[in-house]
Amino acid sequence: MHNRKTRITGLDVVVTVLLLALAAFIVYRLVVKLNYKWNWAIIPQYLMFFDEAEGRWKANVLLQGLFTTIRLSVWATLMATVFGLVAGVLRTTPRLFNRLVGRAYVELIRNVPPLVLIFIFYFFVSSQILPLLGVESFIRSRGPGTQKFLGLLFSTPDLFTAFISGVVTVAVFQGAYIAEIVRSGIQSIEKGQWEASYALGLSWWQQMRDIVMPQAFKRVLPPLANEFINTIKYSAIVSIISIQELTFQGMQVMAATHVTIEVWLTITAIYLIMCLTLSFGVQWLEAKMARKDF
Amino acid sequence: MPVKDSGDYIIVVENISKTFPDGVKALVDFSTRIHRGEVVVVIGPSGSGKSTFLRCLNGLEEIDSGAITIDGIALNDHKKSRLEIRKEVGMVFQQFNLFPHMTVLENISLAQRRVRKKSKEQARDMSMDLLKKVGIAEKADNYPGQLSGGQQQRVAIARALAMMPKVMLFDEATSALDPEMIGEVLDVMKALASEGMTMICVTHEMGFAREVSDRVIFMEDGKIIEAGTAEHFFSAPAEDRTRLFLSQIL
Ligand SMILES: Nc1ncnc2c1ncn2[C@@H]1O[C@H](COP(=O)(O)OP(=O)(O)OP(=O)(O)O)[C@@H](O)[C@H]1O
Ligand SMILES: [Mg+2]
Repeated sequence: MHNRKTRITGLDVVVTVLLLALAAFIVYRLVVKLNYKWNWAIIPQYLMFFDEAEGRWKANVLLQGLFTTIRLSVWATLMATVFGLVAGVLRTTPRLFNRLVGRAYVELIRNVPPLVLIFIFYFFVSSQILPLLGVESFIRSRGPGTQKFLGLLFSTPDLFTAFISGVVTVAVFQGAYIAEIVRSGIQSIEKGQWEASYALGLSWWQQMRDIVMPQAFKRVLPPLANEFINTIKYSAIVSIISIQELTFQGMQVMAATHVTIEVWLTITAIYLIMCLTLSFGVQWLEAKMARKDF
Repeated sequence: MPVKDSGDYIIVVENISKTFPDGVKALVDFSTRIHRGEVVVVIGPSGSGKSTFLRCLNGLEEIDSGAITIDGIALNDHKKSRLEIRKEVGMVFQQFNLFPHMTVLENISLAQRRVRKKSKEQARDMSMDLLKKVGIAEKADNYPGQLSGGQQQRVAIARALAMMPKVMLFDEATSALDPEMIGEVLDVMKALASEGMTMICVTHEMGFAREVSDRVIFMEDGKIIEAGTAEHFFSAPAEDRTRLFLSQIL
């Protein structure tokens, strides 16, 4: 299985040369022909700046956007995992009603463009559900210490509802994809495992927890990790509802400075670093789990 | 051998029928009674309903009609009765079906912990005793994938016994094994029989049937064609179909 070819063939050389030529051409167009005045010097100050009054470095909008993206992705991932687990398990239960509920959720989400969903959810969550729960007034009534703490975990009070709407939106969306992964993982477990644990007198819940889920988790880790990375990428889409995450902040900076390409490239690099780090982390975890004996 | 009081039936199967959704009649008006401590061997051609019979006894398959009573508990639609019966009936499968993500010890302890609600230490002690009984105590901390087929099947038997069942079902427990490993599994089964366990074994190992079984049942097309001692089957089977089948397997 692992005898990967390491020899370099003639075709490899041709492809590499062509790719290099393409890259050179793009750089040439950008640098020489585009007649574009590069202004990289402006970028660092939007990442960090030195606060004279306080005498220390502080994150500026782009880094703040990155932090918001991270907070948004973490909460959305956690929530999406819960939605996905519930819906995925529902789709495998013997009861028809449960399966229909799980199915309806997955099909609804997967067959509507994400952008449309976001507007609907944003409108619904932020204008209907959150005021009903009294979230914003609750936050505002807390002391400054609590507010600061919540700000670290979620968002500042003024943007709290928007932030929560963003999290819920991404989570509901990603949950449908995770549900499908969970379902396929559960269904990949051999019938004999169910029968043996049934014969041992285990309840459905015990079968799930002790026998099926641990084996399914190992099998679905790669596609699951892929969805976690997708969550980070999809978090960019909520910039459309004015959540001040990385993409939104990037657009703000562009509007203010007109240094378009530099800002986009910076943002690209930041997303790339984030997603690659996660991806390598998962590869490490997979390798570690593969070493276990089963 | 325990005394077999004629009134003391641990399993009573009355006129059960099972038709699969695709129309296959796996069991047709099937009845039998099994004494406490009796060892029954079920034989018959492929597709005759042997597995289906065993699977109905612990509720893995639903019966369409008829009644099953095990140790006084009627197997019906109530979840409670099914759970009670599953606790009393251990099952050993042709393909072992061990849990690959658990060590041998964890496989065996599971039912103790979850079903009999024993503490970790109690479950461990009992599991080790059972492992000694089936002769592979040294493999306690291995994963099933590291064991030979014969060893895996012995673990599977220990796992079923850990539930402390009153009845053990064996569905072709030795059919998936290499010939040199069949003996070690049959030895465990024989020891169990001599301890007085009630056993129903689907197997074509007629030597085993002769040595330990009290009764042999020959099935075809979901019905009992002939039943009697192993000697009866060796010396004078009454039905032509039985003779034909035996001539194929012996
Ligand atoms: N889940 C199922 N769905 C449909 N038909 C089934 C199912 N399980 C068994 N059958 C059919 O029921 C009949 C009896 O099957 P069963 O497995 O009980 O036979 P068996 O005597 O155990 O055979 P073998 O010796 O091959 O294991 C067969 O015709 C089989 O094809
Ligand atoms: Mg069978």
